Amino acid sequence: MVSFFKQKRQMKQRDAKKEDQGQSKTVDYIESSLSANMEIVKQKTGDSPDIIIRTLKISQDPEIKTTIVYVQGLIDNPSVTDFLIESIMKNPHLSEKILPQKALEVITEDVVSLGGVATVNDWEKLFLSLLSGDSIIFVDGINTALVASTKGGERRSIQEPSTHLTVRGSREGFTESNVTNIAMLRRIINSPDLWIESMKIGTVTKTDVSIMYINGIVKKEIVEEVKKRLKRINIDSILESGYIEQLIEDQVMTPFPTLNHTERPDMVAGNLLEGRVAIFVNGTPFVLVAPALFVQFFQSVEDYYNRFDIATATRFLRIIVFIISVVGPALYVAATTFHQEMIPTKLLVIVAAQRETVPLPAVIEALLMEITFEILREASLRMPKAVGSTMSIVGALVIGQAAVQAGIVSPAMVIIVSITAIASFATPSYSIAISARLVRFAFILCAGIIGFYGMILAFIILIVHLCSLRSFGVPYMSPLAPLNTQGLGDTFFRRPMWAFKERPKLISSKNNLKREGENQRPLPPESRGMKTSTERKGDGNES
Amino acid sequence: MNRKRLVLLLMLMGTTFTSGCWDKTELNEMAIVSAVGIDKNEAGRLVGTFQIINPVNVAGSLQGGGGTNPSISIYRATGDNVLELDSNASTKISRDMYFAHANLVVIGEDVAKEMGINSIFDAFERSPEFRATTRIVIARGVKAKDLVETLTAIDKVSAEKVIKTIESTEKQQGGSITINLQEVIKNLVSSGKEPLISGFTVRGNTNKESKIENTQTSNMAANPNAVGIGVFKDGKLIDWLDGNQAKGTMWVLDRIVNTNVNIDWEGKKDAVTYQVLRQKTNVKPKMKNGKPKMYITVRAEGDIREVNAPIDLASPHGSIDIEKKLAKDIKKDMEDAIKLAQKNKSDIFGFGELIHETHPAYWKKHEKDWDDVTFPKLEAEVQVEVFIRRTGIRNKPYLLDIKKGDQ
Amino acid sequence: MEKAKISGYQLFVLIFLFEMGSALLVPLAGEGKQGAWLVILIAMIGGILLFFVYYALFQYYPNQILTEFVRSILGNFLGRIVAFLYILYFMYLAARVLRDFGETLLTVAYPHVPLFFANAAFILVVIYTVRKGIEVLARTSELFFVLENVLFLTFILLTIVSGMIHLNNLKPVLEINGVEMVKMAFSKTIFFPFGELIVFLMIFPYLNEPQRLKKIGVGGLALSGIFLSFTMAVNIAVLGVDLTLRSQYPLLTLIQSIEVAGFLERLDVYFLLKLMIGGFIKITVFTYVAVTGTANVFNVKQPSRLAYPVGFVILLVSIVIASSYSEHIQEGLSAVPVYIHLPFQVIIPLLLLIIAYFKNRKKSNKHQQHKTELKGGVEGK
Repeated sequence: MVSFFKQKRQMKQRDAKKEDQGQSKTVDYIESSLSANMEIVKQKTGDSPDIIIRTLKISQDPEIKTTIVYVQGLIDNPSVTDFLIESIMKNPHLSEKILPQKALEVITEDVVSLGGVATVNDWEKLFLSLLSGDSIIFVDGINTALVASTKGGERRSIQEPSTHLTVRGSREGFTESNVTNIAMLRRIINSPDLWIESMKIGTVTKTDVSIMYINGIVKKEIVEEVKKRLKRINIDSILESGYIEQLIEDQVMTPFPTLNHTERPDMVAGNLLEGRVAIFVNGTPFVLVAPALFVQFFQSVEDYYNRFDIATATRFLRIIVFIISVVGPALYVAATTFHQEMIPTKLLVIVAAQRETVPLPAVIEALLMEITFEILREASLRMPKAVGSTMSIVGALVIGQAAVQAGIVSPAMVIIVSITAIASFATPSYSIAISARLVRFAFILCAGIIGFYGMILAFIILIVHLCSLRSFGVPYMSPLAPLNTQGLGDTFFRRPMWAFKERPKLISSKNNLKREGENQRPLPPESRGMKTSTERKGDGNES
Repeated sequence: MNRKRLVLLLMLMGTTFTSGCWDKTELNEMAIVSAVGIDKNEAGRLVGTFQIINPVNVAGSLQGGGGTNPSISIYRATGDNVLELDSNASTKISRDMYFAHANLVVIGEDVAKEMGINSIFDAFERSPEFRATTRIVIARGVKAKDLVETLTAIDKVSAEKVIKTIESTEKQQGGSITINLQEVIKNLVSSGKEPLISGFTVRGNTNKESKIENTQTSNMAANPNAVGIGVFKDGKLIDWLDGNQAKGTMWVLDRIVNTNVNIDWEGKKDAVTYQVLRQKTNVKPKMKNGKPKMYITVRAEGDIREVNAPIDLASPHGSIDIEKKLAKDIKKDMEDAIKLAQKNKSDIFGFGELIHETHPAYWKKHEKDWDDVTFPKLEAEVQVEVFIRRTGIRNKPYLLDIKKGDQ
Repeated sequence: MEKAKISGYQLFVLIFLFEMGSALLVPLAGEGKQGAWLVILIAMIGGILLFFVYYALFQYYPNQILTEFVRSILGNFLGRIVAFLYILYFMYLAARVLRDFGETLLTVAYPHVPLFFANAAFILVVIYTVRKGIEVLARTSELFFVLENVLFLTFILLTIVSGMIHLNNLKPVLEINGVEMVKMAFSKTIFFPFGELIVFLMIFPYLNEPQRLKKIGVGGLALSGIFLSFTMAVNIAVLGVDLTLRSQYPLLTLIQSIEVAGFLERLDVYFLLKLMIGGFIKITVFTYVAVTGTANVFNVKQPSRLAYPVGFVILLVSIVIASSYSEHIQEGLSAVPVYIHLPFQVIIPLLLLIIAYFKNRKKSNKHQQHKTELKGGVEGK
């Protein structure tokens, strides 16, 4: 185990070296004069009022000036006041006479009662620490500063996630803080093999980005690929993991997500255990998971918590739901304008009667209704919650009642659009639901131009496109294509927990595929069942 | 490269949008034809009657209201062939006639008898729009137009009514035969089988059938009825099978589903009613002295439904007696049907096909003169086995007790 | 040659779908009457024999595609000409299938659509796929294989449920005698679809497990042959010989006569889907092969750039190839097998095999010497 750590540290050091080499060679060092240093601090931060500079005096004869600099709101108030300011002011060591050169040492070793303390001497690093919530202690006459870890401040507490809701399973959701998020994972996977690597991305924002994987399960090439792509990023800001997602995707021209994101720690843990890599971005509760496969977007963590038969049934339902949400309206358009022969006569007569007064062609009707629905959805997302109920009333009345009664749209169309809408909400992953929405319009257009022929062409293009996608080198449609019979057990089916023998082949490391021991299948107790038992007595539970 | 792609895309979009949507038909631009009737006028030209659904009236009545307006409209056209009928009719209709839902083709008796049906069906078969499963009936005793025009009560569209009636008649009585376009054509083409097509007529006041009042009384003045099965030879209608002849034919054809069979008992007519639940007819040709002979075996299972004679059903003897009598009656019906077909020189049973399948060499020799020479002389042996499985929820008929009391 | 690898299963699936392609739709071996299914099976055996010829060629040049090893066998000049002829042959076949397909579409569902538009829309999809390369095509066909089989199963199920199968229609099996059957199988059915397997000489080298090729090829041919034969048998069992022969598309007629529970009727769309999946794989394989072949013969660095021009040529050829559907079919039935399929599928490969045999006999002697030397060297170390 130790060797793992070593390796990791070495790797990190190597990376750090590389980074150093990469950056500008002129490094600004801290001056020894306190006032000069303060000037620089003020000048660099534009004398912002939230940068607090607190000057104290320590030692006697000569008095040494010490300054504590921190950013209001980023620090943990009690630790700064209690463990920093108070201890410096009241510490008996400091009231004695100290050599100015030794002052910093004394403060570090005897005074500051905080965990993380380090020294820095260049401004670049100093500001990075300062602006991420550390407190900096300058001592007059010394050209090194002390960085005390006092990160804290107001943050959202851990709450139930608002996406990927489940009935059963952990109620914890990620927060905006990387530290908290990583700790949550540590709490789930208590293994030293859970490795984390951090980097700062964004020339201005300097956002903390960490990648996490389980050494030994993950495929080395995938980790390397993720790191390579992250290093390539040269952008001023990273405000959300979506920035990263769009900058490291395999293919840009596709409506389908090739990275998964989630708010649930248990989902990340499950993915890590299959050999995937998680990317944490500070400032967002959405953690990226790579590589992502098509089938994954139809899976929910709850599938693994429920029994396999139920999970399999739900997964099939989701596939049907996805198909409906993609082709629903297109099917209606194609069937009613091109292929009336395939509708049963009675149904056709009913639909025809409804359409009798509708002035628009079916395609236009479908597009109109779909767009109206999209408007409604978008509006209800962005509006203040108080207006929401008004929205739904207006929507229901205008679209559901008035439009039908006026004869502008047919009731059948309303039914189709509503079913599609419900279907698109029932897809477990939001990102694939958005893709379905986009693709749906393409299908409607194709159906409107040339009926089923157009739809089948669109379908073929869709399949070819999906097959051509890769996520971090892994074919997007695997394990369906290329087919992997072992992997099929966790696609639209979910094999029973006792039969999950292997991790996904294309994602996990090849030498560590085994997931569970032999004979995991639970069996009824020996004394039960139709068998000739040598025992004369049962186990006393006979009814 | 990007500009090229853009140009290509624009070209593609241009071609699709400027040329429009070729085969698009909105539902409110089409007239859904539900039935086609074909008659002949005095001049010998075809007269087509097209029954078109008025969706609003049909759907309205399905939803509970409606019923005040007729659910169908009728258009007529004259022409020399079927397609001409179609194009001539379109001068009278504001919409395109759409035939994919035409479930019924009615052929006038005079057309079937005099012109034959051979020349009618090609247009129906060739068109990708027309269904292969369209049912065919012959208007017996009336014009095809009378049948197509009739307004009916429960099934708003009379085409539906006709189809359902034939199906239920076939099932309950064995007096009709459901046959679709594809089967008719197959039989017309085959040299070893001739088609059978059900007859249909309008009973009652034939002037009222197209009036809305017809559907507004509980006792309809004009009501379409299934009557008999038409026998064809060389594409022409030559005879009608009614009652027991039709039943016998259906027995031979193995198309009986759950027919009631009535037998006389000790001089009392139709005293016992037996309902067939399962049956299987096997027809096997065997060569004897270089000549084929048909062996037809029937095995029927069923229940006793009505006994108006004092028979003790509780004892197996009673049942066996009835079984024997039933077998005899069915056998007679079948033999009569075969004899009639031989008299008509029309192989409606497909014996020829069977011989083709089993004795191809013999068939090759006799294919040409099958209908006229070989078939009429064909020997057939019928064996019928009837089993009574259950007798309903009573064992002995109460008549037996009444008789006893009288004594 | 592309830098790509496909697995044995993928190749198998590709062969299967390719063979099923357009052969499923036409009355294949229709003149065999009640014994059509038998004719197909006989032709399938012939196809397997042909496959062994191709396999032998592949074994001499396991890393070269057809257009490449033709040059190795015949020398650069003559080889280039033959390779070019093969490219034309593949393009012609692509155009034929495209035409078949467009005509079917127009007959069945879209009488007013111009043939050019129907074909153009389709070839664009094909071009899109060809540009993605063989790996994507192989993966796509894996998915379509499942879809195709699901469709096939539902079709069989629906046919059985609607009670239309009359096995008597298949009697007498030997309506035409055995000799005629063999003659028919080896003069027509063997070329279409089984002999068309020759295009796979352009794809075999991508296989990542060449040692299994023999099994894969025979398996693919056998399975597709059985499926085709079975479909034809069902067609005849339901429709009878007369109607099957009179139908342009027996399968369509069959599907149209399905009637289950008064609800599942007129499943033409199902036919359309089946038709398009088969047609798509077949045309794409031909086009892909034409593109890589051209790139190979003319040393084009980026084969995907050729997709548009080659596709466009195929589109134009598919339009001008015949003026009517009957002309198109007549060409396909009488002229093409004798004048085009026979030389390209049988005569040239056989000649190539003979030349390759003599060429490689000399070489292999040397080679074996070389090998033993090498072995000795290794052991010496």
